[in-house]
Amino acid sequence: MNIKKTIEPYIDIQGGLIPALHAIQNDAGYLDIQSIKTIADGFNISTAEVIDVITYYDDFRQAKAGQFIIKVCQAESCQSLGSRSLLNSLKSHFDLEVDTTAKDKSVTLKEVFCLGNCALSPSVSINDSVIGRATTDKVLLHLNDSQDNLDK
Amino acid sequence: MTDLTRIFIPQETSACSVGADSIASVITTLATENNEIEIIRNGSWGAFWLEPFIEIESQNKRRGLSYADKDVSQFISIEEFLTDFRDNEPFDIQELDFIKNQNRLVFSRIGYCNPLNLDEYINFKGYKGLERAFEIGQADTINQIKLSGLTGRGGAAFPTSIKLQTVHDQESEVKYIVCNADEGDGGTFADRLIMESDPFSVIEGMTIAAYSTGATKGYIYLRSEYPLAKYFLSQGIKITRSRNLLGKNILGTSFDFDIELRIGAGSYVCGEETAMLESIEGKRGLVRSKPPLPAIEGLFKKPTLINNVITLSTMTTILSDGYEIFSEHGAGKSVGTMPFQLSGNIKQGGLIETPFGITLEELIYDFGNGTLNNKSIQAVQIGGPLGTYLPVNLFNTTLTFEALHELNGSLGHGGVIVFDEKTDMILQARFAMEFCQKESCGKCTPCRIGSEIGMSLIDKLNKSNAEISDRVLLEELCETMEKSSLCAMGSMTPNPVRSIIKHFLK
Repeated sequence: MNIKKTIEPYIDIQGGLIPALHAIQNDAGYLDIQSIKTIADGFNISTAEVIDVITYYDDFRQAKAGQFIIKVCQAESCQSLGSRSLLNSLKSHFDLEVDTTAKDKSVTLKEVFCLGNCALSPSVSINDSVIGRATTDKVLLHLNDSQDNLDK
Repeated sequence: MTDLTRIFIPQETSACSVGADSIASVITTLATENNEIEIIRNGSWGAFWLEPFIEIESQNKRRGLSYADKDVSQFISIEEFLTDFRDNEPFDIQELDFIKNQNRLVFSRIGYCNPLNLDEYINFKGYKGLERAFEIGQADTINQIKLSGLTGRGGAAFPTSIKLQTVHDQESEVKYIVCNADEGDGGTFADRLIMESDPFSVIEGMTIAAYSTGATKGYIYLRSEYPLAKYFLSQGIKITRSRNLLGKNILGTSFDFDIELRIGAGSYVCGEETAMLESIEGKRGLVRSKPPLPAIEGLFKKPTLINNVITLSTMTTILSDGYEIFSEHGAGKSVGTMPFQLSGNIKQGGLIETPFGITLEELIYDFGNGTLNNKSIQAVQIGGPLGTYLPVNLFNTTLTFEALHELNGSLGHGGVIVFDEKTDMILQARFAMEFCQKESCGKCTPCRIGSEIGMSLIDKLNKSNAEISDRVLLEELCETMEKSSLCAMGSMTPNPVRSIIKHFLK
């Protein structure tokens, strides 16, 4: 992947750094130090300044994430229908803590505050797909389907 | 010619979260090569407990059925599916109490059609608002908004016309419109629904705002948790550009305006307007001190109008239908309709647009039909994570800005979350502090450190050796956070905490 080329369209637009970071992370999966250096050069700012921005935002990561990023909503509406125990159940199923990734890089477990699906709480998202009225079984089933679709 | 049968399957986050996409793919396969069937991915009606809600229109009658927990994979032909549909007593959603008893002005278009069908939008009063603005000119456009009494629907309820006027009055060649689509409050989804099910109304509203203030560039700052809204908005921008509704010389006038969609990166505070500006500028989302007000010196130091999605959509409606349609509704100083969002432990959750003045009781029981698990209700939280918790004996409260203010709360963005009798209220109070601790931008101390201390104080309250002095200390902490935080994150986090202490702690 050519980082220089990916960030090119963003260098000349005002405030283009965050869109550039999104673009690279979408392609590469995460922001490694080499990309960060290239971005810093491209935007004519220091590496520290790029890292400053990356570390502020929850979405940006500097290490490879799992193939499936599972986000379990922990906002109030989901709490009212058991999102805390849902998260605990998924933690023990995958043997993962929040914000950690399985050794085989299959799954990253995260919490999120609101997916905007509150009337069908509790909600969980797997990559860009939202599951409403989520249960552990439903999440695992969905995960299986996603895996099958990738294998096809 | 035979009659065309149109099958509507919503493409919207909540509907898709319970299987609308897989139903659509099954039905599409069954209907291949059937010229008498058209499949339309419409928006959602916002009666989310019915989702996936599928409608069939034939011979000018449109009837729908809930496919919640229903499987369609057993059907081997489209005829079999259609027969089964008819046998299950489909109904007209307009006759459903939940929809019938609303007064949808801003949400009048959602659900009917494919949200990206610009011709349908135009047939349904779309771009009448912008045409009218061009006709009556800048000053009168702002005056229409003033007469409507519209206040910002993002949470702060500031009079929209004052912002418009202030930005209009600035001498600057460059001015910006920023649409705040960072709907981060737990229990809210009105912005998401309108962006997914009526995206053109947001684009038109921004264009009207730009015309009336003299801005030529707009940004939509959309939270990354809303990927489907991103799809609808980016397509909507593309489509309107191709039809000269964005870009140079809009509708043959000398007015130029274009919109850029920016995606957030998972920060709640970026919904605060100045933090959002920092983020659009490519920086950490730290809150700015005010003044200067963004209307005077905002994005890239230029005059900037910042409005929430619903506010901008409402401007479209006010301009197309006249301000009276809006101002005739409401109660006291709370003018117009409000999209309430009912969620949590509730049977019939969804979007309820009604005039201000409805009581909590009516909202929860008449629209919501009580709790999902049939347990008694203990509390509701109104107005997002910074909103107050209210007990059952206050359910006769009318939902207006003033009434909530009197209860030391706020209506915020209109979210109402229901909690049952089993809810550990102290845990909810702790969560308010925890959320603040996790999401604080860190710029000011009361918020950054106060939330941390708040968590440990609440933990102590929960133990048997809790002392009265801990409670006094917590109240002092709340006061410090309220009075000396830079923005609402720190200053309003005490609201849920105090309301729980007041109403639920023995």
